[in-house]
Amino acid sequence: MSSRFLAVALSTSLYLGALAHGADAPLQKTLVTCGTCHGINGRSVSPTFPNLAAQQAPYIELQLKAFKEQTRADPDAQAYMWGMASQLSDGMISQLADYFSKQPPAPGKLEKPALIAQGKRLFEEGVAAQGIPPCASCHGAHAEGMATFPRLAGQHSPYLLKQLLVIQSVLRTAPVMHGVVKNLTKDQMQAVVTYLESL
Amino acid sequence: MRQIRIGRASGLLGFMPWGFGLYVALTTPSFAVPSFARQTGMACAACHTVFPELTPFGREFKLNGYVLDNIKQITGITTENRETLSLNSLPPISVMLQISYTHTGAALPDSAVQGALAKDGDVLFPQQASFFYAGKIADNLGAFMQLTYDGAADQFGFDNTDVRYARHVDIGSRPESQNHSLVLGITVNNNPTVQDVWNTTQAWGFPYSGSSTSPTPATSTKIDSGNGGLQQNAGGIGVYAWLNDCLYGEISVYSAVKLGGVHPLDSTQSQVLHGVAPYWRLAYEKRWDRNSLMVGAYGIDASIHPGNGLPLQGPPDKYRDVAGDLQYQFIGEDHIFTVLSTYIAEKQTLDASFANMLAANDDNTLDTFKLAGEYSYQRTIGGSLAFFSTTGSGDALLYAQAPVVGSLNNSPDSRGYIAEINYLPFLNTKLQLQYTVYDKFNGLGTNYDGAGRNASDNNTLYLLAWVNF
Ligand code: HEC
Ligand code: HEC
Repeated sequence: MSSRFLAVALSTSLYLGALAHGADAPLQKTLVTCGTCHGINGRSVSPTFPNLAAQQAPYIELQLKAFKEQTRADPDAQAYMWGMASQLSDGMISQLADYFSKQPPAPGKLEKPALIAQGKRLFEEGVAAQGIPPCASCHGAHAEGMATFPRLAGQHSPYLLKQLLVIQSVLRTAPVMHGVVKNLTKDQMQAVVTYLESL
Repeated sequence: MRQIRIGRASGLLGFMPWGFGLYVALTTPSFAVPSFARQTGMACAACHTVFPELTPFGREFKLNGYVLDNIKQITGITTENRETLSLNSLPPISVMLQISYTHTGAALPDSAVQGALAKDGDVLFPQQASFFYAGKIADNLGAFMQLTYDGAADQFGFDNTDVRYARHVDIGSRPESQNHSLVLGITVNNNPTVQDVWNTTQAWGFPYSGSSTSPTPATSTKIDSGNGGLQQNAGGIGVYAWLNDCLYGEISVYSAVKLGGVHPLDSTQSQVLHGVAPYWRLAYEKRWDRNSLMVGAYGIDASIHPGNGLPLQGPPDKYRDVAGDLQYQFIGEDHIFTVLSTYIAEKQTLDASFANMLAANDDNTLDTFKLAGEYSYQRTIGGSLAFFSTTGSGDALLYAQAPVVGSLNNSPDSRGYIAEINYLPFLNTKLQLQYTVYDKFNGLGTNYDGAGRNASDNNTLYLLAWVNF
């Protein structure tokens, strides 16, 4: 038997051995799937996919249930998350929420300082004249969130902007937020999300 | 199944260079299969920019074995809780239909009456109709299988098939700290490159569809030949590894698989692989923000008996293809850009053809270069521009003079451009207008075949309606 044949046989059996020991634990398997879009550690690459790292666990649970029940119905929710959440059990949802909430957050992205300053003011003070309350009153002084108030700090700004737009147009129902964003202009949105991504 | 004989032309033209000349290789129409969408519950946009081109998530889906499912499963387990069955509650079946119209710069010669011309402007209804089984078979096991009816050939046949087993392998890191991932997989398929995920190679490369009846250049490199080459003339098995969503390596081996004709294979078959042909693939992909960039290399070593009257014995023709490729994608909310390119260098040692007076040279070279840029606005309206070129050593027998398909100066050199406009009224429906311009066809721009046909006479206007459901 040639040494070439032996080498092939040996590497094939090593390969098959490795294959047979694939990671099978249900949480691990599901995480790998979520990870292809959101990053296995909850820090995603493309801003189409929100970061989940350090997100509030109760908020994650609430959203996954909203996708599953199809009550969060903005276009990307339908295109991506309705399917993904449809077969998740309540137990799996709480394990996923727990896992992602414990991952270290994505680092902030510092761009456009003037816009950041404007966004910070809006976030902390709101705009009384337009009836916009301070975002910080619900999302926390550092946008870290609390329970079902989502963390916004370090989130991709294009994702946040898209959410503000779909919440404003009520494609995404978020009762508490509708009043808040009703009078928000697109420029104000851009400023506040630029600030949030910098955190 | 993507290629048809110019049956009508062969009667008139008499001698034509073997193999390639007999065929008009159809550019590969490809897939975007709704059964994947049904299985995952996700819209086409999750996996495709504009079908059939894959997004990074689409690539992951394929490399993970087409198994991601989000629908109710029919399951079975053993008393040790080992899963023995995990079946989609509905079979992942889809249908694809292509209807096309082709118009060439100048009409082709009539196949029976000397001096007469064929009708120009050819409608195919359908050009192609396919049934797919595409989706999960069992845990970690999935398939993409296509059965196609080819309108021009008027026959049903087995088309692209890729069955794979893949799984994530724990490489020591716990989920909490995981920053490594490794997918190992096995693919069994019938067309080298059908397993590939970057849309730069033959099976799923640009252009994704093209006329099945207009003349195409006499030859192309083996790994890029589709039907004139190894597509559905080969069956193979390969193993691959996908590390950290960035590094891909694969080795596959192919051997002769022919459907129809005489079995066991004999001299009545053509283009029969001798022994096994190793295919290899390496790719590095980097993703940042909304961008991804892939730089890769691939190749095949194929020994082939020309057959077609010659016994499948003695030294075969050898083809060694080494290729580099590149893909760049930007996937924005509204704007999507893609750049695709490949360069293939082929060395041919044509012992069989040379000995049998089918080739004038024992050694030949052939190179392919392709570059395509695509744009899409909101996945609805878009366009592409592409450049293609084939260059190689001249050969008086391989590229003999013959009307339409031959070469006056015995050269394989061809070069041209493709411009395309696409409109997708629905994510699963594409209306396409494509125009192919040749500056050089089989060696020359004017009177390339020695019978007065110019390269531009083969310019092709092609309209396509392509539906998947
Ligand atoms: C194919 C890509 C993809 C996969 C896989 C995926 N998601 Fe998502 N996910 C998205 C997109 C896109 C959004 C944003 C939806 C929107 O804009 O409304 C999202 C949103 C979410 C949100 C809401 C975040 C927020 O800030 O409101 C959560 C929570 C979530 N996904 C969890 C998961 C979990 C858990 C998994 C695995 C079971 C998963 N996702 C798998 C694409 C994906
Ligand atoms: C009264 C409390 C409250 C105030 C004030 C408030 N929010 Fe919210 N916000 C919420 C809640 C609750 C949600 C979660 C909605 C849901 O469950 O879908 C939310 C969701 C969001 C989201 C979607 C996050 C994601 O990950 O998808 C964004 C973006 C957001 N808020 C931005 C703002 C901005 C900017 C302001 C200030 C202009 C603001 N919010 C003020 C309560 C508030």
